[in-house]
Amino acid sequence: MAMRMWASSTANALKLSTAIRPHFSPAFSLSRCFSTVLEGFKYANSHEWVKHEGPVAAVGITDHAQDHLGEVVFVELPDAGSVVSQGKSFGNVESVKATSDVNSPISGEVVEVNSKLSETPGLINSSPYEDGWMIKVKPSNPSELESLMGSKEYTKFCEEEGGH
Amino acid sequence: MRVLTRSLEVWRLGVLNYLEALKLQEKLVSDRKGGKITDTLLSLQHPPTYTLGKRQIVHNLLVSESQLKSMGAELHYTQRGGDITYHGPHQAILYPIISLRDIGFGARKYVETLELTMIELASLHGVKARAGESGETGVWVGERKIGAIGVRISSGITSHGLAFNIDPDLSYFEHIVPCGITDKEVTSLKREVDSELPAEELIHEQLISCFVRLFGYNNVIWKDNPSLCDQQS
Repeated sequence: MAMRMWASSTANALKLSTAIRPHFSPAFSLSRCFSTVLEGFKYANSHEWVKHEGPVAAVGITDHAQDHLGEVVFVELPDAGSVVSQGKSFGNVESVKATSDVNSPISGEVVEVNSKLSETPGLINSSPYEDGWMIKVKPSNPSELESLMGSKEYTKFCEEEGGH
Repeated sequence: MRVLTRSLEVWRLGVLNYLEALKLQEKLVSDRKGGKITDTLLSLQHPPTYTLGKRQIVHNLLVSESQLKSMGAELHYTQRGGDITYHGPHQAILYPIISLRDIGFGARKYVETLELTMIELASLHGVKARAGESGETGVWVGERKIGAIGVRISSGITSHGLAFNIDPDLSYFEHIVPCGITDKEVTSLKREVDSELPAEELIHEQLISCFVRLFGYNNVIWKDNPSLCDQQS
């Protein structure tokens, strides 16, 4: 795991486009822009992901999103206990002098916030689906997940969005 | 052959107070999100104003707020990215309220294109400018900063933007650590150009043209002296 993160951040530092990022999940698909998209995750069209695990769902931004943002230098997250709504902003990230809102893909109560991000905001770049998770939510309406995209749809979405 | 129309409405606002400009942007962002208006570009200048970004790194302000007031300057805390900066007369400001999703731009590409806009403007006057190194977003002539950027992106809609020094009073920058970068000077087009500069209005127009071209707009609608209370889309 440490090796993988090192490799990823070195690749970032050298500004290499890593077509294949090794990951624990056996199946992943590649978008034309070489961002990683993972199976078993759901995706919003504003480039956030959600992974439902039992009573709690973890939320973060995708590899495509972190790549398009640039190096994240600051992350603002809500407090545990706050309420988030699908499609509404719950926090923001700063990169390259841009503060970008991050929207929640699901509604519910924030039960945990990734405190590592205040010291190491770059985790969002180096590990967007694992160590760069942002909040954990107790979903108030799990059926919302059905309105989100699966990995294949999201990969296609990224390709279409970039192709102008 | 069908050509996709990309429209931009340009508002030339003259000198506008910071808070008024902020209120206007908030309204336009909301309208843009709701699809009520097309991409809009605000072109203006501010009276002497210092602004802090979202991280509120106040120690980069080297004087007290009351000293600022006695200089005739205002201080504002904002939601944009970036550090402390100064805005004032003879500094050209562009606030684009545009949809990044329509052009598939992320924050990084957007900011890079804003940098290019200022670099192109500088080159029109024979000045060779460049984008900053990593962590030094903005536009530089050598080791001197001529243009600054600080933006906010909400659901893919931008606000705030760029500031390009035509000929502002650079002494105002002495009261801050500009953009949190120590040991680097601030400069202006006036300082970098040997000959006389053309009228400022022309330079504003040139800046707008560079923006229009780099962002691929093919239909520009000019709105001069718009009513700020204009509720119609």
